[in-house]
Amino acid sequence: MAEVLIAAESRTQFGKGAARKIRRADKVPAVLYGHGTETKHLTLPGHELMIALRTPNVLIRLRGDGIDELALPKGVQRDPLKGFLEHVDLLLVKRGEKVTVEIPVTVVGDVHPDGLLDQQLVQIAVEAEATHIPEGIEVNVEGLEVGTQITAADLTLPRGTTLAAEPETLVLHVTAKPTTVEGEAAEGEAAEGAEGAAEAAPAGEAAE
Amino acid sequence: MLIPRRVKHRKQHRPDRHGMAKGGTRVVFGEYGIQALEHSYVTNRQIESARIAMTRHIRRGGKVWINIYPDRPLTKKPAETRMGSGKGSPEWWIANVKPGRVMFELSGVAEPVAREAMRRAMHKLPMKCRFVKREVGEA
Repeated sequence: MAEVLIAAESRTQFGKGAARKIRRADKVPAVLYGHGTETKHLTLPGHELMIALRTPNVLIRLRGDGIDELALPKGVQRDPLKGFLEHVDLLLVKRGEKVTVEIPVTVVGDVHPDGLLDQQLVQIAVEAEATHIPEGIEVNVEGLEVGTQITAADLTLPRGTTLAAEPETLVLHVTAKPTTVEGEAAEGEAAEGAEGAAEAAPAGEAAE
Repeated sequence: MLIPRRVKHRKQHRPDRHGMAKGGTRVVFGEYGIQALEHSYVTNRQIESARIAMTRHIRRGGKVWINIYPDRPLTKKPAETRMGSGKGSPEWWIANVKPGRVMFELSGVAEPVAREAMRRAMHKLPMKCRFVKREVGEA
């Protein structure tokens, strides 16, 4: 994976006032740490960083203000509604170093028409070289029958990558599609549950 | 309908209606979700109604997750009652939903079906909502 060059400025003012001032200028407050070094507080350009972070586990080269480091995003805080970046934690890495990262698991194809795909893991932890982190793992589920399970051990990992998760971790399985009768039964149960709970409320009162 | 089996205090204060959702703001279980854009109290009846609207539209196949739980009681005094004489009796069970919260998730259906199912469900909910998708590998 190619590195993304991002201009970094050192940050000397902290707290919500300073952070909000930075965000108003379309920049993002960030911290850089790792390898036992002292934490560096940075200000990064908002737009470039947002584009870079669209790639999972993007390798970022930070330059400027006496900083020239490679880093991986460790924690990203976003606004839940507007999605803009509020703060980023960056982890210092070195060339050739092995890191444990979560990479996306994507599904290709359609399962058997009677089956319903239940993907339990959308990301999986792997160990890879910091400069060669795979973009993701593809799983072909074309025509998988009901009851089929795919565990972490069944995944075909890209070269130079080892599994960091438990091999028996369930990644996905194919269940039978609920029939119309089952759906109606579930709705009936829900209605009964409501009546039962209404009776339970006075019981709670009695307990008090 | 969703109702707590047992509560510590039967009559509680009304929950705080300020701020944004702190967690549960992304689609994590399914592929699509309904995200709240406003703050609201969602009753167990509204949750159930939205769930039924969704499951009836998707018919066979698909899986629905409900990420909110109506664990707070709201009380009400009877009509034409003078003030005083203590707090009213529990009337509703509500989930205190803040903006950004993903309330329902859905998987196992095509996107147009999911959009329509969720549009129908949104009509049963008391606040503005939007359809969201799971972002693959987003940091």
